Amino acid sequence: MTTSTREHPSTERARPRPAGGGTTGAGALLRFLLRRERRALPCWLYGIVFLFGYQSLGSQKLYDTPQDLADLRRTMGDNTAVIAMSGPPRLLETIGGEVLFEILTYVAIVVALMNMFLVGRNTRTEEETGRAELIRSARVGRRAPVVAALYLALTANVITGVLLFVTGVATGLPAGGSLLVGAAMTAYGLLFAALTAAVVQVFEGVRAAYGVVTAVLGAAYVLRAIGDVGNGALSWASPIGWAQRTFPYSENRWWPLLFPLLAAAVLTVAAFALLERRDFAAGLLPPRPGRAAASPSLGTPTGLAWRLQRWTLVAWAAGVLLMGLAFGSMVDSTEEFVADNPKVADVLGGGANLIDSFLALAFVINALLAAAFGVVSTLRLRAEETSGRAEPILATGVSRSSWLSGHLTVPLGGTAVMMVATGFGTGIGYALAVSDAGQIPRMTVMALAYLPAVWLFVGLAALCLGWAPRLAAVVAWALVGYSTFIAMFADAIDLPDWTGKISPLEDAPQLPSDDFSAVPVLALTAVAAALLAGGYLGLRRRDVGP
Amino acid sequence: MPAAAHDTPISVTGLVKTFGRTRALDGLDLTVRAGEVHGFLGPNGAGKSTTIRVLLGLLRADSGTAVLLGGDPWRDATELHRRLAYVPGDVTLWPNLSGGEVIDLLGRMRGGLNQKRRTELLERFELDPKKKGRAYSKGNRQKVGLIAALASDAELLILDEPTSGLDPLMEEVFQECIREERRNGRTVLLSSHILSEVEALCERVTIIRNGVAVESGSLDEMRHLTLTSIDAELAAPPRGLSDLPFVHDVEVDGNRVRFDVVTDRLDEVLRRLTESGVRSLASHPPTLEQLFLRHYQDELPAQDAEKVDAER
Repeated sequence: MTTSTREHPSTERARPRPAGGGTTGAGALLRFLLRRERRALPCWLYGIVFLFGYQSLGSQKLYDTPQDLADLRRTMGDNTAVIAMSGPPRLLETIGGEVLFEILTYVAIVVALMNMFLVGRNTRTEEETGRAELIRSARVGRRAPVVAALYLALTANVITGVLLFVTGVATGLPAGGSLLVGAAMTAYGLLFAALTAAVVQVFEGVRAAYGVVTAVLGAAYVLRAIGDVGNGALSWASPIGWAQRTFPYSENRWWPLLFPLLAAAVLTVAAFALLERRDFAAGLLPPRPGRAAASPSLGTPTGLAWRLQRWTLVAWAAGVLLMGLAFGSMVDSTEEFVADNPKVADVLGGGANLIDSFLALAFVINALLAAAFGVVSTLRLRAEETSGRAEPILATGVSRSSWLSGHLTVPLGGTAVMMVATGFGTGIGYALAVSDAGQIPRMTVMALAYLPAVWLFVGLAALCLGWAPRLAAVVAWALVGYSTFIAMFADAIDLPDWTGKISPLEDAPQLPSDDFSAVPVLALTAVAAALLAGGYLGLRRRDVGP
Repeated sequence: MPAAAHDTPISVTGLVKTFGRTRALDGLDLTVRAGEVHGFLGPNGAGKSTTIRVLLGLLRADSGTAVLLGGDPWRDATELHRRLAYVPGDVTLWPNLSGGEVIDLLGRMRGGLNQKRRTELLERFELDPKKKGRAYSKGNRQKVGLIAALASDAELLILDEPTSGLDPLMEEVFQECIREERRNGRTVLLSSHILSEVEALCERVTIIRNGVAVESGSLDEMRHLTLTSIDAELAAPPRGLSDLPFVHDVEVDGNRVRFDVVTDRLDEVLRRLTESGVRSLASHPPTLEQLFLRHYQDELPAQDAEKVDAER
């Protein structure tokens, strides 16, 4: 009796820690996550490789002599807007650095978003949907889902680093610098994975967490921009700044990578500490209560649609406004450096007025973003239907037509808002660059000329919702993808003319490069209207339901 | 408007609806009389929700007729919907809208809701209207749907398993509300799996199976057509019971006998028992559950039912 009592504590110590607080099951979960992400993850990686590889090849073709690079340094070095957009002009000392100057910021944005979604989707979203409850009821420790998600992100970031290294070397950049680029993005990615892991502990909804992480990413971009334009101090407060200040291909500094790695470590510890202080499915912050009664505007399909999507639209519109601002502000240096570098002229299509060609391309890119929003917003209608939320609404006095109309005001009106924002932003950037306020209304009106082409994407999505709802997402996104491909590569690979005509954006007059002509604009409007009408017809005939 | 519409808010005959190769409704008949609470019963996948979706004009029937409040549920959907309120079996909410907002939204889309009743119902169902959709439990989501429907002035309520996820106290509140609705002259079509609920609330029920109505009528009528269980202790072993065509599942254990008998043939059976001398006798009238199981269970009970039908 006495013996057994004495022995008891030691057997207790020998026993493994209970599964509740541990990481039991993390390995199995990681395998499951890798399988689950086997389609989405490669898309992110292709994107990253494409951005870096395409820019590397393009830059080396454009600036193949030291003289070209020196000219570029001279023009870009003085252009505040370009520096704010891209990074410190010190990068421009080598051709590899020039590639990073142009593209690293965008690669960094993609890497950050990839990590945010990988971690957020596999932790908080799983708790929100209740799927994690099922998993946690098995022999899976409390920390296991976060551990598995972080290992998933680690895997993704290491692959990203290796791919960047391989891409750099394969496109002819020095191996040492390319290795540093890869390592910098791996470390930087880990920082955003750890940040997301910590933030999702705080909020009950994954959307709020995404908001915070995106805000940090935005702040990183802005701090870096201000720092690079000024004395550089603020750039040292930005994760993007840390990555750029390794100066691969010239100084090859490895020590700035300590910052993101240290931050990632601290945030990982914080994530687990926060995890211990909250209940399953709950956040650390209590959710803000909603309104006890609906506001007067929430009582129609239109009111509901805007209520559900207003912040999404604000984010998209802010995005194209900033893009426009950036493109517009580049106009000034485009002119200067095209004069120095005739090869750039070929890329822009070699038209009589290079600035106009450049602006037309910028408008097409922003119009593609608007089309993407239009498709996202139109397809929400399908989600409303499959989730079962449409059913109670269609069982009230709301007819199918008014349900569709109400929802379509968001993609149709929202794309209009986005094109105005595009033109307005481009106008402001341009106006500042050339000191001519008249560019603001001029650019705004011109951007609107692309709107009927954007509406055609909405029309196609609506038509599919009416007749083949299951195919709607595939068909609508296929047109967006195809149009993007045409916009970026059609000139480079000599496709027959008709292939371009399939893209609605190529059918619109390419303002300001082309003159305005009413016929294509009216024709595009008519086709969009016909597609929408077809959508109504289909929806009125078919069964509605999950 | 046909005169019949006043007495039968819902009248469905020979309804057929197919999804690909599946025949979800296969000639369904359903009649709901004005002012009654009509139970709509059937196993999972029997076609209850499909019927309701056809009635709401969400699905288009392949053939057969459906008359809802005197109109065509497909063609006149919008006008008819102003006069009815619907609660689905699985209320899904928008994650960012509060329960109160959804109640108001659905009410306004239906053409207005009674604010006094809204307040009263929130209190009775103990629902916090400020919570966001994502934060509600299954039961609380159902409450949102129920309050939105009950706070309306609709003349017809279509409820598709409305109480799934409600706790027993809330189930009681729901039953009280439905009784009030009946007193106020509203008609209710109540699809349900909770037999006690149906027994407590419904005058008439329709039982469907594989897309066909297999039984329809008042609960009292139906009890007569089903089996009563008898458990008796006799003075001597029973004789000839198994020969009677309306007696089933006879179990003899010495002097003790247990069997089921078609309820309206009780007289004959009792006469036969008294021949052996009855020491004790227990009789259990059919419960709705038995009524139900007869149609739920596959093959064997179906044959039994046929035998009973043949005996009638």
